[in-house]
Amino acid sequence: MATTAKSRSTGTTLTGTILSIILTTAALGASYGLGGRWAGMLAILSVGLVWLLAQWRDWGWIASLALVFSVGAAVFGLWLGMRTGWMLCAVGAALSAWDLDHFAQRLRSVGRVEGQRALERRHLQRLLVVDALGLLLAALATALRLRLGFGAALLLGGLAVLGLSRVIGFLRRQHT
Amino acid sequence: MWTRRLLLLAGLAYALLLLGLATLDGRLLALALPLVIYLGATFVYGPHELRLSVTRTLSAERVSPGTPVAVEISVINAGPRLEEVLVEAPIPRKLELADGEPSMIATLPPGEALALAYTVRGPRGKHDFPPIRVTVSDHLGLFRRRTRLPARSQLIILPEVSRLKRVTIRPLRTRAYAGPVPARQSGSGVEFFGVREYQPGDPRRWINWRVSARHPRAIFTNEFEQERIADVGLILDARLRTNVRLEGQALFEHAVQATASLADAFLSDGNRVGLLVYGQFLDWTLPGYGKVQRERILRALAQAETGEGMIFESLDRLPTRLFPARSQVVLVSPLCNDDLPMLVRLRARGYQILVISPDPVAFEVQGFGVLEGKGSRPNAPQAALDLAARIARLERVLLMRRLRQAGVQVVDWQVDKPFGQVAHVALSRAPRWFQAVGMTR
Repeated sequence: MATTAKSRSTGTTLTGTILSIILTTAALGASYGLGGRWAGMLAILSVGLVWLLAQWRDWGWIASLALVFSVGAAVFGLWLGMRTGWMLCAVGAALSAWDLDHFAQRLRSVGRVEGQRALERRHLQRLLVVDALGLLLAALATALRLRLGFGAALLLGGLAVLGLSRVIGFLRRQHT
Repeated sequence: MWTRRLLLLAGLAYALLLLGLATLDGRLLALALPLVIYLGATFVYGPHELRLSVTRTLSAERVSPGTPVAVEISVINAGPRLEEVLVEAPIPRKLELADGEPSMIATLPPGEALALAYTVRGPRGKHDFPPIRVTVSDHLGLFRRRTRLPARSQLIILPEVSRLKRVTIRPLRTRAYAGPVPARQSGSGVEFFGVREYQPGDPRRWINWRVSARHPRAIFTNEFEQERIADVGLILDARLRTNVRLEGQALFEHAVQATASLADAFLSDGNRVGLLVYGQFLDWTLPGYGKVQRERILRALAQAETGEGMIFESLDRLPTRLFPARSQVVLVSPLCNDDLPMLVRLRARGYQILVISPDPVAFEVQGFGVLEGKGSRPNAPQAALDLAARIARLERVLLMRRLRQAGVQVVDWQVDKPFGQVAHVALSRAPRWFQAVGMTR
């Protein structure tokens, strides 16, 4: 079934985006509030509100800024000693919101979407799997306590960075 | 394709990994994991190869201006399943979308096709459809593969042709075949040409008894004027300096329509017609007959555009060798004062010249009136405009008078009147009874 551009900003994707933004803002804001960082909480709430407003006003550029801000706020929160679980939850939700925001923009930018419901459903399924896997691995990583020396940590970190570089380089070659 | 989103995400993941390593904080590394997994998923599900083919069909390849043309595009996937396919069919610059959507996004299973349909319409011209852009990505949309699939299509929007009744021309030389143009030679025909002494074999009904009665020793017969086809050279003036353009309306479009109508009329009468578009370059359509030639000329007119060239600024560079000696030349031009000497020279060389001149002064004055109605007239006092129009009109009247004095047939056409109507009054042959009572048009 094909749909027109007007009807495309509502529906499952929009609901998912709004829920993800609220979850991000709530996770970060609650952590900062409980930690007594009122200025930080206020900033997080403001960004959350602007991000929500962007859904209504169709400001596509906000999502990337908000993702960077959310990750930054999570890193800062960890540095301040806030709970890792909340921060992970906030990063996962921010990633979902950012993804769904861009997905909605893609749908809005074209004249016609063939099989929109199926397309949205598959996108959400893929996103949920990816997000759940990421959070699960991150939770496992935080739960596991391995005592590594500086050299081993450096080696593992280096390998991770190298691996990521290789993956990205490979993708770049494949897709250009 | 390397998207900005991917750069952003990769940058964040790198930053978290480096920060985690620098501070030896495992929590920061854990924070990077959702981002890394997201990147990895794209690696797994991203599109790897594209085997697409495309076809584009138009409901018509040559139409008249404003006629809607349905475009159908089919993209066929001969490769693996493509999760998100964005098909964009750019519309040629001058065409406008009348209905439907020229872009769509969908999932494309192997062996299946996506169909895109829309309708366009537009002004006169030759419109080439650009290649179709196809962008394929996975569901997360982080990596994209973009390709341009050529599906060559061309839409020619021909100028409007008004059907003219017979256009009377009278060149000094005609061709050998029978046609509608008086040949200035006696023979079999309809129009009375003269009398001569009877010769054996002359039909008896041709005997002019009145003249014969005056000469008791001789019998005289009527002679008629032969009617033949002629060579007609059409010249369309496409010089930028002579063509006025106001608020999206161009005088040139009227000139093109007139040329198309004249070409149609001359070819319908069986004449041999050639076309020269005289603008930035010379665009010459070789003379020919019939429907094929009509199509050639209409296609040439569909592509005609105004242009500015130093060489062809005045009509002095008109290549007269293209037109057979003493043939009929029809110039469609708004005219400017510099054109007079060349037209006089052409006339002196024996060409029979007909000038169809769309009136630029009336067009511009009318345009200013429209602008005034819209409240967007340039800041110029009304009195100054009136005076300028008056001077321009006087100059034009003077030019027309000089041309007529030089033996050039001129039709001064105010383009608010349909060309068919103007041509009927000025160019059709006067009825016999007009001539009988001594009237001319």
